[in-house]
Amino acid sequence: MKLQTIKIKLLGLIVPVLLLAVWDYVTRHEIFPAQLLPPPGMLFDTWLDMQTSGELALNMRISLLRVAAGFALGATLGFLVGTAMGTWTVVDQYLGPLFNTIRQVPIVGWLPFLIVWLGIGEVFKIAFISLGALIPMALKTYEGIRGVSPSYLEVARVFEFNRFKQLTRIILPSALPSLLIGLRLSLSEAWMLVVAAELVAASVGIGNTMTVARRLFQTDVVLVSVIVIAITGYFGNKLLALLESQLLSGRRPSSAH
Amino acid sequence: MSISTRVAGFIGRRYHGMITFLVLVGIWAALSHLKVVPAELLPAPDTVLKTFIQNVASGLLGKSLWASLIRITQGFLIGCSLGFLLGALMGVSLTAERLFAPLINALRQVPIIGWIPLIIVWCGIADMSKITFIGIGAFFPMVVNTFEGVRSVPHGYLEVARVFEFGKWKLLSKIVVPGALPSIVTGIRLSLGTSWMLVVWSEINTRSALGIGDMLDSAREGGRMDLVIVCIIVIGVVAFLINELLGLLETQLQGWKKVSR
Amino acid sequence: MEKLGTLKVKNLNKGFRSGKEDVKVLNDINLTVQPGEFISIVGQSGCGKTTFLRLVVGLESNYEGEILLDGKRLNGPDLKRGVVFQDHRLLPWLTVEKNVGLGLKNGRNGEARQTVQEHIELVGLKGFEQHYPHQLSGGMSQRAAIARALVNRPEILMLDEPLGALDALTRMYMHQELERIWKQEGITMIMVTHDVDEAIFLSDRIVIMSSRPGTIKKIIPVKLARPRDRAGVDFLRIKEEVLEEFHLHTETPFSYTI
Repeated sequence: MKLQTIKIKLLGLIVPVLLLAVWDYVTRHEIFPAQLLPPPGMLFDTWLDMQTSGELALNMRISLLRVAAGFALGATLGFLVGTAMGTWTVVDQYLGPLFNTIRQVPIVGWLPFLIVWLGIGEVFKIAFISLGALIPMALKTYEGIRGVSPSYLEVARVFEFNRFKQLTRIILPSALPSLLIGLRLSLSEAWMLVVAAELVAASVGIGNTMTVARRLFQTDVVLVSVIVIAITGYFGNKLLALLESQLLSGRRPSSAH
Repeated sequence: MSISTRVAGFIGRRYHGMITFLVLVGIWAALSHLKVVPAELLPAPDTVLKTFIQNVASGLLGKSLWASLIRITQGFLIGCSLGFLLGALMGVSLTAERLFAPLINALRQVPIIGWIPLIIVWCGIADMSKITFIGIGAFFPMVVNTFEGVRSVPHGYLEVARVFEFGKWKLLSKIVVPGALPSIVTGIRLSLGTSWMLVVWSEINTRSALGIGDMLDSAREGGRMDLVIVCIIVIGVVAFLINELLGLLETQLQGWKKVSR
Repeated sequence: MEKLGTLKVKNLNKGFRSGKEDVKVLNDINLTVQPGEFISIVGQSGCGKTTFLRLVVGLESNYEGEILLDGKRLNGPDLKRGVVFQDHRLLPWLTVEKNVGLGLKNGRNGEARQTVQEHIELVGLKGFEQHYPHQLSGGMSQRAAIARALVNRPEILMLDEPLGALDALTRMYMHQELERIWKQEGITMIMVTHDVDEAIFLSDRIVIMSSRPGTIKKIIPVKLARPRDRAGVDFLRIKEEVLEEFHLHTETPFSYTI
């Protein structure tokens, strides 16, 4: 079996390695100017520079802090809103249509509006990110709570569970898979919005690093930043996936992706 | 059923939402007319309405919207079809999946917007870069959903194809594609939705031509909050239509399918 | 010269690899099925009867021994061997008519349409041609699946616990239908089941399989006139004989009246 797994992994490396080879060839023979397409080797050096100068660490830290703040705020609010709409029909009836209307607008559309109201400082960025993080979380929380099988609720009635017990023993555990998916969507949205906000209205942060580098045609810096963003996104996702598998161990596997 | 009964029924089912909406508009009107919030931040609802009508009449809104829609089309069509082809290929061929999945999954980690600086370096800030990056945005949801759709075709149906000696073409057209169709439509919906968002974004940022995003940002710069609100509403309506219409199609297609949630 | 539809299984052995072990699923199966016969393979779950059926249909391979249809070795599935699955596997996006005609090469021409219509009527689904599977009951879906399998006029029809998903009452009705269809078409039928009554009602011979590994324990001929009386003395005697192989007994012993 092990040989099979190794073979599969090797197959997966073919395309990237091929691309790397083409890339190397192309830069070596200067088919594109080095400014447009830096050689792979150069990227490593650039990354090293950025690491040692602390530039990378500084900017990433700021971006990550923003993501954390926006995500924490947005996901929490989203959870509360979703729970409110899911638990009390009244709230759903009155707030539901409003929520559904607001969420139609792609978050980036709100950018100019928020800039006018909040300027381009940290408040604006956190607000922007939170808004983006809020919506998927609210939606998934709502779905999770509404999706609790009526059969289970009947069991709760038969055993005369009070409201609190109902919530903690039946509703939340049942909604957990949805909640975790909501967290994942929320985080990836937050991550995207931090980059978006920093591209436009920031003086520090990885997005800003990219914008400055772009203007100076430092393609190597831009590429390194993209890679760093990808790796960070990957680890963030992996972390949440780990959380998911821990919390949901023993259940029937869901089609979480 | 008479028209009035129909309308009454329609409203009756949604009156809660309408009440909220009316209350909010009322608060909005109060805040702006009572000058609690300055007009630069929040113009009155009637001002917004007037601006909307003005822009529709002058044709500016229509033209900008149209320009954005044209821009989206090229990028969307390219990204969506490439995504469909690759997703289908990876779905039917295990080798293809093993070859491409790691790379696709790695590239997916970069939020679409993160590609922008790179694309601008490589393609400039004219339409080419916009089309490229809309294409990328449309590509990923399509690959993922097509792949999942093809893979979700129950193994049992594939055996039916074997038993009836289906050739590759018949297998694809009679079993794989119909089976994967709901997921494919989901992919198109997400693809189109992402493309719309990206077209607006790219217009806000690289304002060189006509478009709804361009209109939005110009309005902001010019301090025309009324126009800003109009544009946001229009953007939201288009996104809504994309989701509703394609969502409807999805539901229709799922109709014959066993609801296996 | 063998009549068409003769199935010969010689020294069939099949194993699976499960983790680090080799699990033997079928051990030295020998069986000859005459054209037009109705055979049931009875055994408990997991005895390999479904594996056997899938090998004959051609959905599984990698076996030792020989499976010959009319003297020719099998090479994957083909249209001479039809199969009805336990889950009907009708394509949900096609109508009954289109589903039944699925296996026909030229589905469009008039002759094909006529064959499809004949078979839909054969299984008693006249009037439901334009219905979709999700609009049909379990029994009706299975009947459509049978029509689909028969439309190509296979030499042998394999049925893998075809009535297992149906309720007991529908099942009894379907027994009669199956017998009628079999009589009318005259094709060889091999049915896998764990329902002893079903096997006795329908079969000319009952093949009893023991499990782990699957072998043929006993073959019991059922030489009763049709249609068979489920409460008849002879029926019950055979039932007792079958159940004994599984170390079970009928609930009430029959008694003679003089």
